[in-house]
Order: sequence, then structure tokens, then C-alpha cells
Amino acid sequence: MKIALTDAFAQEKIRANHALIQVIDPELNINIIDLGLVYGLDFTIPNRITVTMTLSTPHCPLGDAIESGVTNALGKVFPDYQVDIQLVWEPEWSIDLVSEAGKEQLGIK
Amino acid sequence: MADIFVNKAPKEYVVVPFFGTAALFFLLLCLLLCFSAKEITGHYFNPHILAIVHTAALGWGTMVIMGAAYQLLPVICENELVSPRMAFLSYLFLTIGTCILVYCFWTFRTDWLMMVAGSSIVLSSYFYAYIIYRTATDANKSPIYQYFLLISALWLCFTTTVGILLVINLSYTFIPRNHIDVLKLHAHAGIVGWFLLLICGVGAKLIPMFLLGKSKKTILLYVALILQNLGLILFLVDGYFNPMGGRMLIYGALIALGTICWLIYLADTYQHRARKKVDVPMRHAAFSIGSKILAFGMIPVILLNPQTKWIALYGTLIFLGWITALILGKTFKTLPFIVWNQRYKNLNGKLKIPMPKQLYSEEVVKIQYYLYSIAIVLLCLGIALDSSLLLQYTGILWVLVAVLYVYNVFRIIFHKTTLHHENSTN
Repeated sequence: MKIALTDAFAQEKIRANHALIQVIDPELNINIIDLGLVYGLDFTIPNRITVTMTLSTPHCPLGDAIESGVTNALGKVFPDYQVDIQLVWEPEWSIDLVSEAGKEQLGIK
Repeated sequence: MADIFVNKAPKEYVVVPFFGTAALFFLLLCLLLCFSAKEITGHYFNPHILAIVHTAALGWGTMVIMGAAYQLLPVICENELVSPRMAFLSYLFLTIGTCILVYCFWTFRTDWLMMVAGSSIVLSSYFYAYIIYRTATDANKSPIYQYFLLISALWLCFTTTVGILLVINLSYTFIPRNHIDVLKLHAHAGIVGWFLLLICGVGAKLIPMFLLGKSKKTILLYVALILQNLGLILFLVDGYFNPMGGRMLIYGALIALGTICWLIYLADTYQHRARKKVDVPMRHAAFSIGSKILAFGMIPVILLNPQTKWIALYGTLIFLGWITALILGKTFKTLPFIVWNQRYKNLNGKLKIPMPKQLYSEEVVKIQYYLYSIAIVLLCLGIALDSSLLLQYTGILWVLVAVLYVYNVFRIIFHKTTLHHENSTN
């Protein structure tokens, strides 16, 4: 997920991104940002954060643990915001979405 | 968004008792193996061998696989598990039935008590099949994995039903065929119909998930399902009406061919995996697949040279090689996540929490893996060479493997939630 500095909510998005680094995929032991699971953050609705994200496997058994991780992590940084998670399968998650650090942890590099 | 199902894992009481009980049955199995080391290479219609085989098939294999299936069913069918209470009942009936059945075989008590045990296991299998059927059909989706699960559940019911008929036949003979011949059909319905189909279905879903790999060759799974079922049905029909003979090789070849298709699918997934590191629990799978291939290779041997020791080797490769290796490894890819999900799901992202891998000792799993590798090789050698001394020493190794496994399983089950504040070092 790229954040443009010209974005009106760049500051919020950077804070949210930093918070989401704390959410770890329990199976892969890599944070969801480096895994490339988070596709987008939207702050346009007041006091609401919409997170568009996916899972590494559709119907992942730990899916709701990751979801509650996202809600908890953002809730700590933005206590007055409601967190809305939009789970999508398109585009499908692939290894190309993993960051360099994530690839290193997966043993690809 | 509306049709996306985020998995709601079944409650802990539905799955965890299966794993805990199976671990204890594995310990019992290894102890029985140790006590009866000298008898292993003898004829399989022997009270102690029958007790050992049923401990392995029901208390160990079926117990873990049934529990894991309840956990995985929502993942495979993309639907919540139907009737968790019935799932718990199936656990109770399976546990009680297996305990009594093993006792009855060991002491060769073939009266009403054995019938009660058999009926309890039949009931458990019917509950299981009902849950699978309802969960799968309510889902309105039909991936291939679901067919493997459903059909294997039907074969389980068939196997347990034939089993109870055989129990009754011991006291009131009514089956027109030779008891031993029907026993072979009962065993293979269980091995191929229940264990092989279920493992193929669950493996085809889980192994790509663990490796982050994908294969587009799903057609291979359909071919595998058809060939395995065709081979088994032909074997059972022919085997019931005619004496066992060379034709059985054709049916075995059909099943083997189906399994090869499944292996090609997995190999394709492995080649296209994103996760390059293969951990110790996954390495157990290599032993499992190797044992399965060797067991298939034993089929011509036992048909052409039906010495009891070769049949013992065939059974050992199936139960202590293929099925046990798979369970010993996969337990640590499932149970810690099940327990972690219940204990830490709502704390994720809130506090510093342990990861599922930290719920057990990886060091102990490594030692267990090496000990198991030595134990299975020595056991096979002991049987092939008919060496009772080697078998006795190997029995001790098996008990050690079981102790390590039980230690880790109960360490996970009894894990207490531990929280760390974010500013603490650990």
C-alpha cells in the first residue's frame, strides 16, 4: 500500500499504517503491512476508518483473529474512530504484494 | 463483501478433546506395541494385534482426524459447523466405544460388551457423517475438497457398520463369507475409503495453505477422487464374491494411480510455493508420503507371498508410517492455532501476545521427529528380519516418541493466557 504525501489524509494514513505493523499474521509470523494484506485506508467519512484488505488464503482459519487485530490496533491510535473492515478477494493476494522485508522473512530472498 | 465468509472457528470443546484423547491413545498404542513386540509379526487375527490395530485406527487416527475435520470443515465448506453439540457427542461415543473395544480385543471378550463398544463407534461415525453432510450442503458451494470429505465420511460409516456386523458374527455366525476375508474388506474400506480420501481432501486444501502455494491443476484432484473410489468399490465387490487373487492388483493400481494424481497436484503446489522455508512439522509429511508409497509397493508382495510378517509390515507402513507421520507433524500446524485463536484472538493488536508457535516447544518437536524417524525405520527392519530383540528395543523408542508428543500436546491444551505490556522486554 502506497501513501502519497499529497493525500489530504496522509498524516492519518501514516499513523494507521504504523499501527497496523503491530498486527501479525499468526501463521506466517509477519506483519500484515509487509505481507501486503492491506490494500487501502480511507478517512473521508468523519470519525470512520475504512480498511480495505484481503487474507493470504480465502477463508483463512485465523481470519477473524487478523480482523480483530486490525480493529484493536487502529482503535488504540484513533480511539474516537469507528473501524470498518472491507474484506475483498479482488485483486487476489499474491507474493508480488509482499514487501522486501516480508520476502526476506518468508525465505524468498 | 456480502458473500465473504470470515471463518468462525468452532468452540474449543468441539475440537480440543479429540487431540488430547488421541495423544493418550497414541501413548497407549506405543505401550501395547512395546508389550506385544514379539507378536507383531504373527497372524493379524490375534487378540493383541487386533487391539493394537483398533487403537491405531480408532483411538489415534480417527480421533485426531475427526477433530481436525471439525476444525477444518468451516474452512473447506466456507460455512459454520452445524451442531457443535453433536460433534461433542460423536467424540464421547468414539472415546467410550474405542476404550471398551480395545479392552474387549485385548482380552478377546466377544460378548455383548464388544457389541456395545461397536455400536457406540457406529453411532459416532453416523453423527460425524450427518454433521459433514449438513455443513457441506448448507454451504451451497462445492469445491472438490468437500467431495473428498463427504465421501470419506460415508466410507467411515460403511467401515464401522461392517465392523459391528463382524463383531456380531463372532458370537452369532450369519455372514455367508469367511470371517477373515470380510475382515480384509472392512480394513481396506477404512484405510482407503476413510483415511486415504480424507487425507487427500484435507491435504489438498491445507498443504497449499501452509506453503502459500497454488496449483491450477485441480482436475487432478477429480481424477484422484474417481480412481480411488472406483478401485475401492471394485475391490470390495470382487473381494466379497470371489477369493482374493491377482485381480486385486488392478484395483490397487487404480487406487495408486489416483494417489499419484494427488501427489502431482501437491508437487505442483510445492513448486509454486511462496514460502520457501519448510519447518519440522512439514518435514514429517515427507515420511508420511514415503510410507504411503512403500505401502502401495507392498501390495504385490502380500498378494504373491502372504507371509504374516509382510502383512504386518504393510499394516505398519500404513498406520505407523503414513498416518502417524502425518498426525505427528500436522498436530503442530493445527492445535496451537486452535488454542491460540480461542485465547488470544481478541487481544491481537492490543497487547504483546505470544504467537501460536510459542505455545509448544519446537525443540521437543525436533527431537520427536528424529526419534520417530529412527523408530519407524527400525520397526520396519525388525519386522522384515523377524527380529524380536530389535522389535522390543524399538518398542521403547516408540514409547519415548509418544511421551514427547503427549508432553507438547498437553502443554498447548493447558496453555494459560500470558500478556506482556508493550514496554516490557518480553
